[in-house]
Amino acid sequence: MKLNRLLCSVALASVMATGALADDSDWSYKKAAEPYAGTTIDVVFLLRPGYEAIEAMLPEFENETGIKVNVIKHPYENALGEQVRDFVAGGDLDIALIDLVWIGNFAENDWILPIENFTSNAAITDPDLDLDDFFPLVLDAFGSWNGTVYGLPFDNYSGLLFYNRCMLEEAGFDGPPQTWTELKDTYGPALTKDGKYAFALQSKRNETQSADSFARVLWPFGGSFLDEEFKSNLNSEESQTGLKFRQDLMQYMPDGIVAYDHAEAVNGFAQGDVAMITEWSAFYSTVVSPDTSSVADCVEIAPEPKGPAGRKPALGGFSLAVASQADEAEQAAAWLFIQWATSKANALEYLERGGVPARQSAYEDPALAEKYKFVPALVESWQDGVPEFRPRFAEWPEITEIVQEWGTKIMLGEVTTEEGAQEIGSRMETVLEDAGYYSGEKPLAQ
Amino acid sequence: MRAQVSRRTIFAFIGPAVFGLAIVGIAPLLYAGWTSLHFFNLTKLKRIKFIGLENYWSVLTDEVFWQAMGRTFFLLCTALPLQIALGLGIALILHKPGLGLLKTLARLSLVLPMATTYAVVGLLGQVMFNQKFGVVNQLMGGANINWIGDPTNAFAMIIFWDVWQWTPFVALVLLAGLTMVPGEVEEAARLETKSWWVVLRHVQLPFLLPGLVAVLILRTADTLKLFDMVFTLTRGGPGSSTEFISLMIQRVGFRGFDQGLASAQAIILLIITIVLAQIYIRVFYKEV
Repeated sequence: MKLNRLLCSVALASVMATGALADDSDWSYKKAAEPYAGTTIDVVFLLRPGYEAIEAMLPEFENETGIKVNVIKHPYENALGEQVRDFVAGGDLDIALIDLVWIGNFAENDWILPIENFTSNAAITDPDLDLDDFFPLVLDAFGSWNGTVYGLPFDNYSGLLFYNRCMLEEAGFDGPPQTWTELKDTYGPALTKDGKYAFALQSKRNETQSADSFARVLWPFGGSFLDEEFKSNLNSEESQTGLKFRQDLMQYMPDGIVAYDHAEAVNGFAQGDVAMITEWSAFYSTVVSPDTSSVADCVEIAPEPKGPAGRKPALGGFSLAVASQADEAEQAAAWLFIQWATSKANALEYLERGGVPARQSAYEDPALAEKYKFVPALVESWQDGVPEFRPRFAEWPEITEIVQEWGTKIMLGEVTTEEGAQEIGSRMETVLEDAGYYSGEKPLAQ
Repeated sequence: MRAQVSRRTIFAFIGPAVFGLAIVGIAPLLYAGWTSLHFFNLTKLKRIKFIGLENYWSVLTDEVFWQAMGRTFFLLCTALPLQIALGLGIALILHKPGLGLLKTLARLSLVLPMATTYAVVGLLGQVMFNQKFGVVNQLMGGANINWIGDPTNAFAMIIFWDVWQWTPFVALVLLAGLTMVPGEVEEAARLETKSWWVVLRHVQLPFLLPGLVAVLILRTADTLKLFDMVFTLTRGGPGSSTEFISLMIQRVGFRGFDQGLASAQAIILLIITIVLAQIYIRVFYKEV
């Protein structure tokens, strides 16, 4: 009797499975897109390698589906403003490109739609979507807000330590520093000489100051922007240790580091003037290409050094979400494009063309690690990251401006780390108070 | 006998211009006035509310705003005298008789800096003042001066570009003023004295005054709204050392998205500009 029931259920399950398979094998982007052929969808792209990669692959998608993708390119610094204005004015954008720190903002304004709206419609959802295949940290940090998934991770970064093996070997090191303290106390003095520098930390007064410089020294030392009650945690002992560490480390960096953006740091490294940088994985292709790097043969990649509180590397990246202002056909077409661009099937090609997919399955092949040296470090970093590396709530655009201003003033020595932290803290708390976090009007989500 | 022009004709001629001005200039101004009285944040449109003069109060008591204003006037007070001195020198040289073709060429080349887009000037500056590869450090015998990353040097660099770009404008305006001086008056003066200063002070300067007032007003307004060049060159940095008032307003309005506060700042700036222009006209301007 029991056996019978078991057999019955196994049979039933296999019938269902084959049925499902039959359905799945039937599904194709071409077929799913039939009702939407001829639809044009507008999306903002950045001037970065991951976007060039997907643009090169676009004709394939357009030919198969008949959906036209209209790409509007902006440098990172303009991308938020352009999109906010478009959404406020009810413009043309059908897809939102969301930096992880914008997601709270976009979601709370209802400019983007949860993917649930679409995954419930099997006709336009790739059976192989497999959300569990995305690195959980990445899907959580880049695509989700308050427990709801809005976007799929598209252009994905982790901070990595890029080091010049040749310079390190010459100075007698057979590997990269394991901790930040080691980087400063051992590698710093040994590598800073003859007009060369041990390290460069891009710190220009824009998002680079907040994300790449300020936050990078908070977390590994146990600090953070906010405590549990959403009050400033910047004057805590741990945060202060981190900020003071940055001041101390500046002696091993080139002059005028506060004017360094990504381009300057990456170029300094690529020209062999700087032995180590901590940069986004996205710049890998720049430093290993002989066209743009004179040290291409010497480049090695490691995870960022550890601090007393662990590795906590910088985390950044973008997801794509369907914009609520799009009409129904555009929304469906946009959803198809987003799935396609972040799909398992395309992940490897995306990687080969210079993008960094967030699909775990894409990195399973051990041979990849030899071809792309950043892969092991990247995969390791994504196990260890903090989603709220920078708070992702709607108030971040205001707070990052404060951090940028006072963060650079601290670095320039115009104020002490304590004074600077105090200024940022009190201004940040004013913003959060106005937003209603302290009165209980808003949940403490970051 | 006065020709009678009907009111309709007058309205028909002036109306379109007034209408155009109203749409392009006055409507946005009124809208900015309305915005400045509200809590109006682009990312919090659900919470727009009337808050009276609170934004103005925040601006007037904001240390950062006044620091940016101070920086802007410091730029004006350093760059403008340089521009007037150099511009007057160039105008006087070009006003001397002789060397016709060369002077025409010189006049034409004066237009080039003015015709260069502000943003492009900033980008040029980034390349030319680059510490390592920049041509400026090369020309200074391979000096290792950190222009963009040092607060004082960055400010000096902005002054340099502003002077480079706008001295020709001052020169051309003053040259036009010099050509207004009646030839016989100038000739008579030169027979009286050999001192170029006396000629300049008593004969030429009265003709230059309207031009100088125009230069003062235009350059003050331009400096107060100086944005593109600084934005592409230093983005207000390092720290806040080149954050002039327009950069600050743009930052508040379009990077912090607080349109209400930014509108209040812009309106205060407008008031300051109008007051300054009035002062210039009352103090300096005299009909010849």
